[in-house]
Amino acid sequence: MTGNGKETIEERLDLQSQLSDLARVPDWIERLASQYSIPSSLQFSIKLCLEEVLSNIVRHGYSSEADQSIIIKFGNPRENYFVFIVEDHAPAFNPVNSPELPPLCPPDAGRVGGQGIRLLRRFADALEYEPMPTGNRLSIGFSTAQVDVESGNRP
Amino acid sequence: MPIAMEELEGGVTRVILDGRLDIEGAAAVDMRMNVIAGTKKAVLLDMQNVSFLGSMGLRALVAPARAIKGRGGKMVIFGPIELVEKVLKTSGVDAMIPIHHDLQNALAALQ
Repeated sequence: MTGNGKETIEERLDLQSQLSDLARVPDWIERLASQYSIPSSLQFSIKLCLEEVLSNIVRHGYSSEADQSIIIKFGNPRENYFVFIVEDHAPAFNPVNSPELPPLCPPDAGRVGGQGIRLLRRFADALEYEPMPTGNRLSIGFSTAQVDVESGNRP
Repeated sequence: MPIAMEELEGGVTRVILDGRLDIEGAAAVDMRMNVIAGTKKAVLLDMQNVSFLGSMGLRALVAPARAIKGRGGKMVIFGPIELVEKVLKTSGVDAMIPIHHDLQNALAALQ
């Protein structure tokens, strides 16, 4: 599927490890969507998954150090399937098999966050992790196969 | 992200969010939401025009909701789009902040 280095990369976005730099991502996705006909419902999932992955890299992987590099690569390996590959140089972390925190309930629980991995797993169609010699490589796959053609919504 | 407020009958405050509750959007509303959480007891969070919600946005909702509840108040979410609602339900936030698509039901839930 992804992550084996053999896919054709169509586009690339280089980011610095600052939450403010992550603000460039939604506009980049919208440009890709226009160029590669990515439906709006899939754009939502893509933006969500990338926000979760990137914010975790910035806040936890790089411990908010501002001058580290994050690279996002985009591929369209086959019709109706899109891949985003996120590469960093942070300490090893595999979100594919990390345990999920439970949902945010009961209402009086003290926890506020911890939902990023849960959201990533629910909104991505495929996840593939590969440790790098000095960092991580996460491939996130999105398919239009289940998108309702008329409404652009997913079931 | 713009945030507007409207006082309704019955002591309900309608807080209207418009745009993306992503990292930037969450930062933009965070302080205002905390002020609202400290001063209002019945909040209808109108999310009809929220086009995106991520986990940073969830934080911007959960903390104020918890604060309002701690003061004996209530908060509900009104009118999220399908994908935003999916984020709310996947994260379990809907168990903390009930979702309504009918305005009268939402207002009744705040009484």
